[in-house]
Amino acid sequence: MMRQVILKHALLESEPSSAAEDLCDRGKSCKYERSPTCKTFFSCPQTGRSEECRGVIGAVSQRHTVHIKREVLESDLPSAVTLLKNLQEQVMAITAQVQSLTQKVQAGAYPTEKGLSFLEVKDQLLLMYLMDLTHLILDKASGGSLQGHDGVLRLVEIRTVLEKLRPLDQKLKYQIDKLVKTAVTGSLSENDPLRFKPHPSNMMSKLSSEDEEEDEVEDGQSEASGKKSVKGVSKKYVPPRLVPVHYDETEAEREKKRLERAKRRALSSSVIRELKEQYSDAPEEIRDARHPHVTHQSQEDQHRINYEESMMVRLSVSKREKGRRKRADVMSSQLHSLTHFSDISALTGGTSHLDEDQNPIKKRKKIPKKGRKKKGFRRRR
Amino acid sequence: MNDTVTAQTRKFMTNRLLQRKQMLIDILHPRKATAPKTEIREKLAKMCKTTPDVISVFGFRIHFGGGKTTGFGMLYDSLDYAKKNELKHRLARHGLYEKEKTSRKVKEVRGIAKANVGAGKKPKE
Repeated sequence: MMRQVILKHALLESEPSSAAEDLCDRGKSCKYERSPTCKTFFSCPQTGRSEECRGVIGAVSQRHTVHIKREVLESDLPSAVTLLKNLQEQVMAITAQVQSLTQKVQAGAYPTEKGLSFLEVKDQLLLMYLMDLTHLILDKASGGSLQGHDGVLRLVEIRTVLEKLRPLDQKLKYQIDKLVKTAVTGSLSENDPLRFKPHPSNMMSKLSSEDEEEDEVEDGQSEASGKKSVKGVSKKYVPPRLVPVHYDETEAEREKKRLERAKRRALSSSVIRELKEQYSDAPEEIRDARHPHVTHQSQEDQHRINYEESMMVRLSVSKREKGRRKRADVMSSQLHSLTHFSDISALTGGTSHLDEDQNPIKKRKKIPKKGRKKKGFRRRR
Repeated sequence: MNDTVTAQTRKFMTNRLLQRKQMLIDILHPRKATAPKTEIREKLAKMCKTTPDVISVFGFRIHFGGGKTTGFGMLYDSLDYAKKNELKHRLARHGLYEKEKTSRKVKEVRGIAKANVGAGKKPKE
C-alpha cells in the first residue's frame, strides 16, 4: 500500500526526482524521501516516531506533507462520513423547527403589545450572546480575522443592553429572591418584614363598620321598594378614627438627646482628635480637605460668590454685612483658637461653663426683616 | 523676573437670546495691580480671535492678597448686536453711546417769563 501511495504522488509530481538519493536516513526500511533542512516534523508511519524532516521547503518536502496528509485523511474518512450524515439530519430537524416557529409567529400566537417580561428578555439576550460568541470563536479558530466582523457589533450591542438591565436587576433582586425562596420552602419565613405591613382595615373602628352595614342593608330594601335613601347617594363624612399614639418624649428624653448631640460634637473637637492621633498606630494623614470649622459667614460668602458668578452681576455689600464679615475675620485671625478649646464637658460629665472671653451660645430669633431688596439673592431661612 | 499677566476663562456660555457669549475671566497678575479693562479686552480679543470692539468686560474684583482678579466678559456676535443688547453705561465706556445730560434743577423765573414756563422745566444749557 505504501508503494501505491508513493507511486500516486510520483504521478502528481511535475518534476521527476531520483528516488535513491532522496531516501530518508532510515534507509530502505523507510520509504519516505529525505529533503535537506526542511525542519518540519512528521510522524513516520513506518517507524511511528516523530522525526524532523531535514529538507528545504520545496517540492520535495511538499511531497512529505502530502504523504502525511493522505494517511491522515484515509483514517479520518469513515468518521467524517458519519459526521456529515449527522449534520444533515440535524439541519433538517432545525429547518423543520424554525418553519413551525415562523408559522406560529405569523399566526400571532406570541402577542407582544405589552412587551416582553424582563426575565424573558434577559434569557433571550444571554442566549444570543452565547451564540454570537461561539460563532466568533469558530471563525477565529478556523483562521479567519475578526476585523469588521458583524458578530462583534452584535456582541457589543447585546452587551450594552445587558449592562443597562443590570440596575433593574438589582432592584428586582429582593422580590425575585423572596419568590424563589417561597416557591422552594413553601411558606414565608418568620422574619419576613411583609408580615408587619400596615392593614388599614384594622384601623376602622367597629362602630362605624356596623353603621355602614346597616345603611347598606337599608339601601337594598328601599331600592327594592322603589324609594331612594339620601344616605346612599351622599354619605356623611366620618373621619377615620385612627389609633392614637402617645407622645412620649418627656423632658428627660429631650435632655438625653441634647447630651447625645453635645457628645458627638465634643468627639470631633480638636482636643479629642489630637489625642486620637497621638495614641493611634495609624500613620499621620495630612489632608487638604475642607476646613472642618466652616462658619456660617464662610457659607454665606460662598453663596454670594455662586450667585454673582451665575448671574454675572456684582452685588453691593451693606453695612451690616460688612460689619459681620469684619467680625468673622477678626475672630479667625486672632489667636483665639490657641487658648480657647471647644467644650468637651459632654464627655467628661461636668456641666458646661464658659470662659469670660467666649461668647455665650445665642439662640436665633425669627425677626422678619423689612425692606428686603435683593429678593433673588437672599436665602429663605 | 518678568511676570506675565495671564487670562483664563471659566463658565463659558453661549447666550443665543442676546447673541453673545458670556464668561467669567480670571486674570493672574502676580506682584502687579489689576490690568486696565482696555488691556483685558485686547487680551480676550486675541484669545477669541475677534476685534476688541465687540467685547465688553466689567465687574473686576481682586482677591484677598492680590495676584488674582475675577470679572465678567461678554463677547457679541457683531457690533450691531452689541449696540442693541449691551447696557448703555457699558457702551458709554467704549465711547459708542452718549447720554444727554439733562439737569434736574428748575431755573428760577420771575415776572412775565413765569407764564411762559409751561408744564415742562427749562433745560439748563
